[in-house]
Amino acid sequence: MTSAAASAGAWAVTAVGLEKRFGPVSALRPLDLTIAAGSSIAVVGPNGAGKTTLLRLLAGLARPSGGRLEVGPAEPDRRKRRAGIGYLGHATLLYPELTARENLAFAARLYGVAEPEARADALVKAHGLESFADRRTGEFSRGMAQRVAIARALVHEPPLVLLDEPFTGLDPEAADALAARLAGLHAGGRTVLLVTHDLARAAAFAERVVLLRRGALAADVERGDSEPHDFEASLRAALGGRP
Amino acid sequence: MNILRAVLAKDLLSEWRSRDRLPAMLVFALLTVVVLRFAQPGGSLGGDPAQAPGLLWVAYVFAAVLGMNRAFALELENDALAGLALAPVDRGWIFLGKAASNLLLLVVAQITTAVFFSVLFGVDLAGVALPFLGIAFLGAVGLTAAGTLFAGISVRTRYREVMLPLLLFPLLVPLLVGAVQATAGLLADGRADPGALQLLCVYDAVFLIASFLLFEYVLDE
Amino acid sequence: MNDPTETRFERRALAAEGPVAIALLVTSAIAALVIVRAPADVVQGVLYKILFVHAPAAFAAYLGFVLTAAGGALYLWKNDEQWDRLAVAAAEVGLLFCTLNIVTGPIWAKAAWGKAWVWDPRLVMTALLWLVYLAYGLLRSFSEEGPRAARFAAVYGIAGVLLIPLNYFAIDLFGGRALHPENLERQSLGVGIGQPFLAGTIATLVAFLYLLLVRFEVQGLRVRVERARLDEASGEAS
Repeated sequence: MTSAAASAGAWAVTAVGLEKRFGPVSALRPLDLTIAAGSSIAVVGPNGAGKTTLLRLLAGLARPSGGRLEVGPAEPDRRKRRAGIGYLGHATLLYPELTARENLAFAARLYGVAEPEARADALVKAHGLESFADRRTGEFSRGMAQRVAIARALVHEPPLVLLDEPFTGLDPEAADALAARLAGLHAGGRTVLLVTHDLARAAAFAERVVLLRRGALAADVERGDSEPHDFEASLRAALGGRP
Repeated sequence: MNILRAVLAKDLLSEWRSRDRLPAMLVFALLTVVVLRFAQPGGSLGGDPAQAPGLLWVAYVFAAVLGMNRAFALELENDALAGLALAPVDRGWIFLGKAASNLLLLVVAQITTAVFFSVLFGVDLAGVALPFLGIAFLGAVGLTAAGTLFAGISVRTRYREVMLPLLLFPLLVPLLVGAVQATAGLLADGRADPGALQLLCVYDAVFLIASFLLFEYVLDE
Repeated sequence: MNDPTETRFERRALAAEGPVAIALLVTSAIAALVIVRAPADVVQGVLYKILFVHAPAAFAAYLGFVLTAAGGALYLWKNDEQWDRLAVAAAEVGLLFCTLNIVTGPIWAKAAWGKAWVWDPRLVMTALLWLVYLAYGLLRSFSEEGPRAARFAAVYGIAGVLLIPLNYFAIDLFGGRALHPENLERQSLGVGIGQPFLAGTIATLVAFLYLLLVRFEVQGLRVRVERARLDEASGEAS
């Protein structure tokens, strides 16, 4: 899978009756959700609402217990589906003994990018990582590691980007820079899905906010023409004052 | 194939910088040899040379288990294992990359231990160095083929250090029968039993294929 | 009881339980009669009759282990929990019969060979399989319940069954040291033993099937009860 093929248009997501159980525990109750190609969407909800489970299902890291899930072009092959997804979880997925550049090059090889070294260099430049690109990521602060992790998630220029609490551990400055980068990804025609508990960030970034509660869809709010501040207020109203 | 090479290179580079697997494997294998030597009837002086091949392979198995557990413990840091699972590739190749790095480290540990062992047990391995290396390699392939698959499982259970030997040891017995038989034949009359070599090859093939196919499911969630 | 989450396979298994229970009563009664009436051995006396349980238990154990692997493979392929439940049931019942086999062996051997435990290849192999399925159970209880535990167990169950042919190969290497009759026990044992042996085998296999069905049903119920309990708890919390 070359990066050119992967960037040929954003991916949509359709979930019908999507369900995930861990033994007797239902992490996600049958859920219907459609995400338009090229949209920006935030998933919010209290702890244990199933946000991370949903994201891991979309990323192909977990298999649904029931229901149907279509990600991207109708592609039954899970392997090819994974080629179009950029995923950033709670962890950075980085090897501490490798430098940032080596981590990026390794990720590029995993995704079969044509010239992994050159791609790693390009990412270092594009994400402004030059000052620490050749140091072991094990020595990095949370913020530095997070920036490399984001570059890693985008190594194959995926048409669908999934991020789980990406602002955690970033100082306000770095968080703002990340927010600008996410906006840029969306503007560049990608579908971006963000899981967060930060309503202000969700309101500033997303066109649409979905609330999960105890594994079920509790609210679905579109921004429409409203200003971020008003959108945030209407979100709070929809959530019944709860974060 | 590229994936195999990438994972292998990544593992070896990581090991070269941290050196946290090979030294531990070596020390553990040597220690096992010494302990077994003193546990022989007659203490440090006597000992039954017929038992030597079995004791050597016990040391190899212990070293291998230690190394393979560590190999996956490294992948758990920062959830790097999920990074591998996300890759749009046949996960069998990821397995082969991990197995190849385990195999390489194990062979280095085997050679070092064998030199030490031949001195301590008064067994002449120098004369049959090449065929011995062949047997050690065949045994190591089966050991890492089965072990790498189960290490991927055990590392994500409770009591993970204990789980790998529990899962692996009963399944290793046919391999050990072949390896010990072949080594014993080599030491006794300079010729390994062809049946034992055949058993080693069959075991290697069976577990390479099975692990290649099953690793897909080990990496899920 | 009509549970909509019950699969068709489970409903059939449940329906089969009654008839199999009756079959179990009938076959064990016949086996008991036939075995009791079988003449005592000239040398071993009545003790040899333990073999009518010993050998069939081994068949049942192997059957259980093959079913564990098959259930695991089906689970990996279809991603359907019922096959995992079948694998769990088969592994546990298989382990039970394997234990029965290993316990009855030494009782007989102590009398016949004068030694309770001999390093006979067949014996070693059964002991190894017993260890494999003990490890299978430990693996399940040491991993968090859920699809991952099921998947890991399936992988191990499939790898475990590979041990059977590999062990036979290893046994061949030692060739000729086997104390167990290599051909079917029935033919190699003395005249007049065939009938009770057959009766014992049938009764044991029916017992295996019955226990398997019950264990399979219990596993399904356990998951449903737990699920209902959790649903109730989360309902109260809101």
